[in-house]
Amino acid sequence: MATVTTTAPDTRTFAGTAWSWITTVDHKRIAVLYLVTALGFFALGGIEALLMRLQLARPDTDLVSAERFTELFTMHGTTMVFLALMPLSAAFFNLLVPLMIGARDVAFPRLNALSYWIYLFGGIFMNISFLAGGAPNAGWFGYAPLTATQFEATHAIDFWALGLQILGVSSILASINFIVTIINMRAPGMTLNRMPMFVWMSLITAFLIIFAFPAITIGLVLLLFDRYLSTSFFLPAGGGDPVLWQHLFWVFGHPEVYILILPAMGIVSDILPTAARKPLFGYPVVAYSGAAIALVGFGVWTHHMFTVGLGPIADTAFAISTMAIAVPTGVKIFNWMATLYGGSISIKTPLLFAVGMVAMFIIGGLSGVMLGSPPIDAQVQDTYFVVAHLHYVLFGGTVLGLFGGIYYWFPKFTGRLMHEGWGKVHWALMLIGFNLTFLPQHLLGIDGMPRRVHTYPADQGFELWNLLSTIGSFAIAASLLIFAVNALVSIRRGQPSGNDPWDGGTLEWTIPSPPPVYNFAQIPVVDGRYPAWDAKRGGGHTGAVAAATAHGDEDEDEPDIHMPNPSYWPIVLAAGMVIMACGLIFHQVFILLGAVLFGVSLLGWIEEPAA
Amino acid sequence: MRAALAATTLLLALTALAACGATPQTTLEPTTEAARQARDLMVFVFWAAAVVFVIVESALVYILIRFRRRPGDGLPAQTHGHTALEIAWTIPPTILIGVIAALTIPVIFANAQPAGADAMRVRAIGHQWWFEFDYPELGVVTANELHLPVDRSVELQLESDDVLHSFWVPRLRGKLDMVPGRVNRFTIRPEVTGTFQGQCAEFCGTAHALMKFTVVVETQAEFDAWAAAQLAERTPPSSELARAGEEAMAAGGCVACHAIRGTDAAGVLGPDLTHVASRAHIASGILANTPDNMRRWLQDPQGVKPGNLMTIPELTDDQLDALTAYMQGLT
Repeated sequence: MATVTTTAPDTRTFAGTAWSWITTVDHKRIAVLYLVTALGFFALGGIEALLMRLQLARPDTDLVSAERFTELFTMHGTTMVFLALMPLSAAFFNLLVPLMIGARDVAFPRLNALSYWIYLFGGIFMNISFLAGGAPNAGWFGYAPLTATQFEATHAIDFWALGLQILGVSSILASINFIVTIINMRAPGMTLNRMPMFVWMSLITAFLIIFAFPAITIGLVLLLFDRYLSTSFFLPAGGGDPVLWQHLFWVFGHPEVYILILPAMGIVSDILPTAARKPLFGYPVVAYSGAAIALVGFGVWTHHMFTVGLGPIADTAFAISTMAIAVPTGVKIFNWMATLYGGSISIKTPLLFAVGMVAMFIIGGLSGVMLGSPPIDAQVQDTYFVVAHLHYVLFGGTVLGLFGGIYYWFPKFTGRLMHEGWGKVHWALMLIGFNLTFLPQHLLGIDGMPRRVHTYPADQGFELWNLLSTIGSFAIAASLLIFAVNALVSIRRGQPSGNDPWDGGTLEWTIPSPPPVYNFAQIPVVDGRYPAWDAKRGGGHTGAVAAATAHGDEDEDEPDIHMPNPSYWPIVLAAGMVIMACGLIFHQVFILLGAVLFGVSLLGWIEEPAA
Repeated sequence: MRAALAATTLLLALTALAACGATPQTTLEPTTEAARQARDLMVFVFWAAAVVFVIVESALVYILIRFRRRPGDGLPAQTHGHTALEIAWTIPPTILIGVIAALTIPVIFANAQPAGADAMRVRAIGHQWWFEFDYPELGVVTANELHLPVDRSVELQLESDDVLHSFWVPRLRGKLDMVPGRVNRFTIRPEVTGTFQGQCAEFCGTAHALMKFTVVVETQAEFDAWAAAQLAERTPPSSELARAGEEAMAAGGCVACHAIRGTDAAGVLGPDLTHVASRAHIASGILANTPDNMRRWLQDPQGVKPGNLMTIPELTDDQLDALTAYMQGLT
């Protein structure tokens, strides 16, 4: 057995176990933390959605007050984007990137832990607002000047702005970490063009984050200046301009859509070849179209602003760029279909979710083309049509893709399969519920129902579609309960999966399930895109992968594998940051307290022995 | 996938249904050139999208069924790509996108045409949470009910007094935002007389859902009569009760925000009430203007429209009766 040198805490006691999670720097355990936390926030955002759907099920309902409703849709959007979907993607980056590129951990393990703790504390910080005088209530897009102190004197907006800043730090740190990991830590022979497509999309997403987040960071700094220092960057009375906020927000906000969808596209691009037992069709095109989408994605942001009155030239330019982005997106879909074509498709739950993602994402893409035409947009912008469109992209696309990923890699990390029958029930119920929820919303928008309304009168022709939509949302909730029970039961009692239940082609399927802490006893040598297939099918390629699998566990001569030590500095540093933010809301003394904690932990971090 | 196909059929059926049901804010029954162009584009892109949808989704379903794994399947042919094919299938989407862009761009520029010199100018000002309409050429100021003559171009000058709002009457035209510190202009040329419902379309705070208005398109003669009536000072109270209402109004501080020409009331923060009884709705389009509703509104404005900015002392039944009578007389 390979000896692993770490100063691991004693995990036989509860305290020891807790301490081991708090101080862990193992990418796989951090991934589990991300996954569990993100699913928790996903449930919270889902409950917020259900409350809104109950309020809107019938006209003139008083279940949720107008004031509370604004908090619900603001926090639903903010939670789903920043606290559920992005961190779910981060969970997959953490789980998979090192395994897929043949590395033992990420480049900066402690930074990885720091990203997680900042995310957790930032999410809690933002949600404390519900108990501390009112949650953020100006929409997830926080349009100025509704966010000014003149219109919102409580700290609701401060919780939102500071919370997003904190979460932004987490995302940027994680992205730097994964860029360095992917660029520097690939196994020998794993050229960029041999990377699994999920790793490609992770790399592109990480670059998107480090280029897109600075825009919202600047916007939020200016907003906080407006609120705390009485500047007027966004206030016309002082010479500012509320439209500037919209530009800054959407320069970030549109790439953010691709930040949310590209990882799911990566997951689908890896599930389909496995299910069809065929390599991804047109691999370079799939990779480069991802990069093209990301690049063009920075040049389409004012399609969110077609009704602002920017003029026909701007509207035309951004309509063209918006429509152009449909081409690389369409190409990806064709490539996925060609991957399945001629294959031997195993129709199991991961494949069903992946295909569901493709099918639903097509609808979101097509309604996106409609919205890309400014005269059409002028009618349906800020109506339920847009709500429907964005959910076909982010739920039909991202959420279905991520669930496909969960079913697909669950056995890798638990050693057990999720129950297939219940998985299919989850899939069918979720797909039906999803379409029942969001398909009628297209009609509501076309019939003139604006979004972000807490109620509507009975004589508008909105009743039936709203009722169907609410029924659909509860079907989604039921499907998620089935998923939760299935996952919890399968962790303990699921059918043992072995190391490679799907006959996968990428490196993670060559190592034990669950993977040992060091991942690879011996770093593999790669000479193709599907090294595990090559090894299994004896395609004349290297035997190094096979060697790692066969001998990793009992090779007595294996040299010591040095793994990074656990560290408590990441959690302390993250706490210091969030306590500082509390100082801007509760009492100034927290700023000092947080800064001291931050400074001490930074020193502690630097001085921590590396060995 | 079969569900998705069924759903599309349903969507088409429902869209047709929606077009003939009671949907006063539908985008599918335009009554102006601009709204028609938007509707035609929407219908064209919808059908184009429907064709793409049916082709692609059927192909997907076909592939799944045709190539599902069967017992005894060997390893399928390991194709990695096909350059000619991959280049070829970028062409149809590019052409389709090109066609949509070619149809869209002229409409964008047509919509941006400035109004002619003969157009009537109207300022529409968004407030939390009501609309003010100011006809500078006529000297008329009113709220929540925009009167327009038929077959005449109107240049709307969209402004905001506080936060973002959006001016949207789906059957007359797509929306355009009201941005504080800016003036947005667009032209409406109504072709059909009637009443059209509009609503604020940009989230503007708590009462956003209850910020509505109506547009009354009438013949030039009707419009002129309306404008002349609006220019007049208020109708003096005709009963003892209404006179008590006018006094209660002055005493209660209502005059700080509301104007009633012909009295000392000259507030500018709330809607001008000089001819409030001439309007079909109160509280920005959410209640029919009946004595009962007026009384309800004066008694509990926060209950009727949560978040609204009207501050009103608690009124006795007598005061409510008097104020209601007074308001109902302001024709």
